[in-house]
Amino acid sequence: MEKPILVVGGGPAGLAAAHALGGLGRQCILVEKEDRLGGAPILSGYHKLVPSGEYAKDAIGGMVERVIANENVTVHTSSTVSRFEGEPGRFSVDIEGGGTVEVESAILCTGFTHFDALNKPEWGFGTYPDVVSTTQVEQMMSSGQGIRCPSDGRKPKRVAILLCVGSRDRQIGREWCSKICCTVSANMAMEIREELPDCHVYIYYMDIRTFGLYETKFYWRSQEEFKVKYIKARIAEVTSDGERLIVKGEDTLVKRPITIPFDMVVHAIGMDPNVDNARIAQTFGVQLERHGYIGEGHSYGALGHTSRPGVYVAGSATGPETIDDSIAQGTAAAMSAVARHSSAA
Amino acid sequence: MPIHEKSLIRPENILSHEKLEVDGVDVSGHWSTFIQDRVVTDYNENMEDEIAALPGGEHIHRCWQCGSCTNACTVNALNPDFNPRYWIYLIRQGMESELLRDKDIIWQCVSCHKCTHVCPRDVVPEGVMKATAHWLELKGHRPKSHSMIFDEVFSEQVFETGKIEDGRVIRGFFKRTGQALTQDWMVEMVKKVVSKLPVSLMTRMGMSALIRPRTRHWGPAREAIREYVDEQKQRERAALGLNELVAQAAAEARSAGAKQESSHV
Repeated sequence: MEKPILVVGGGPAGLAAAHALGGLGRQCILVEKEDRLGGAPILSGYHKLVPSGEYAKDAIGGMVERVIANENVTVHTSSTVSRFEGEPGRFSVDIEGGGTVEVESAILCTGFTHFDALNKPEWGFGTYPDVVSTTQVEQMMSSGQGIRCPSDGRKPKRVAILLCVGSRDRQIGREWCSKICCTVSANMAMEIREELPDCHVYIYYMDIRTFGLYETKFYWRSQEEFKVKYIKARIAEVTSDGERLIVKGEDTLVKRPITIPFDMVVHAIGMDPNVDNARIAQTFGVQLERHGYIGEGHSYGALGHTSRPGVYVAGSATGPETIDDSIAQGTAAAMSAVARHSSAA
Repeated sequence: MPIHEKSLIRPENILSHEKLEVDGVDVSGHWSTFIQDRVVTDYNENMEDEIAALPGGEHIHRCWQCGSCTNACTVNALNPDFNPRYWIYLIRQGMESELLRDKDIIWQCVSCHKCTHVCPRDVVPEGVMKATAHWLELKGHRPKSHSMIFDEVFSEQVFETGKIEDGRVIRGFFKRTGQALTQDWMVEMVKKVVSKLPVSLMTRMGMSALIRPRTRHWGPAREAIREYVDEQKQRERAALGLNELVAQAAAEARSAGAKQESSHV
């Protein structure tokens, strides 16, 4: 008899993998550490997703409902995997609150952790209340509260979005590009301009990576329709004159130092490896790649291989990833897992 | 200097003093050189709208910074500091202080319109240059250019009389620009004209210089033109926020005057 397949993590990749497995008529056990499914878009309260513009609670919420309704999928929330042993085709797994089960294979969809901007103290996060992260702004919008300065609740007249906070920064050991923050920031800038037409939004960048088709829909549209200003600069420090925030740095196109006052500064925070990756790697016996994400094999044979046969990986567990690609990878990893064991049987 | 070779320190920002003492320390001479602050401390968020409100600047928002204008530019070939693309960038970002560094060369545009023809976005950079030069004058960053003064003398006369009398235009222009009326080339030209011109024509020219002819029934046209020109000027001043500035200055002057009077009492 076919054994179930284990999916670890209930974000976009895990939901896609569980849905694919259930749809193929395979039993799937989905284990989620938090008390509900949905992953970062739901747990961190994202507002509208890029590039679709759909509300996270509708789009990802729909994926959650679909998985919960799938009779082939058994969901364990507030639960983790404490032991994982055996061979491909017959792994023995201890699930907290779910007892010991035997599974054929496992797909790790354990995601990422938002960069904590406290690790970039010179940019004022944690020092000045009006320095916020993109996640906080998402929450301001998704909660219906609107864009307000946390210090006194006023509507900002001028907002700076700093890109690459916790990305492409060798100084703090984050050498990677988090891939989607440029697009998210361009989208956020447009949303701010839409809500507060009198508020000017400046994006400070070293390079803009609104890759692929996002160039039209986000990069150019934000400038041409929404008058968002992009300033190529290196930011040295975010400080305060007692009334407003002061962004200090160098405008590298104009080649002059800048000290510009702002009401609100938004850190476009990057994607760190999941803080639990060391433990996850140990439990599942997989290797991490050099940055601390879960190492992934070449894609030419099948997608989503880890260093351990029978254990697959998908989504932002492998490195910074978009929601759409996480969903694609979750589906592909499910296919890899099913195909391997179908041919082996 | 080509923009990628731009030095961080502009020559005009380097200061050295023959004799200077600061807090009792002698800092005279070349070994103690000071460099003026070059920090950008704010953006002028109205700048693009202001330029767009002036004739020629209407399409500045279309620019996507391809650089075709600068590449095609006649003046840029002679002076690499003349960079329309860069100025459009500065205006759109509101970097007024950086634009003002080039205030003394922006007027040099020769209106050859090569940029107009190569621009893929129909920005009409030539128009933007014109609007920017105009903006610099209206804001008081530049004195009125000679060509502006000529335009004024010329158009005032047309508005007034409906005719152009060359001699009067030239006299007015020389007077307002502080130039001598009898310049060598002028004397030479008049001599030659006089020696070649038929007597009847000479007489007519002489007469028009004296009696200042007008177009018949010009009055209503003059009023209409004046009204239109005033309207346009008023609109430009409003767009640049100059009326508020003038009102503010007047109010300040009044209150200062009142204070002075009261102190006399």
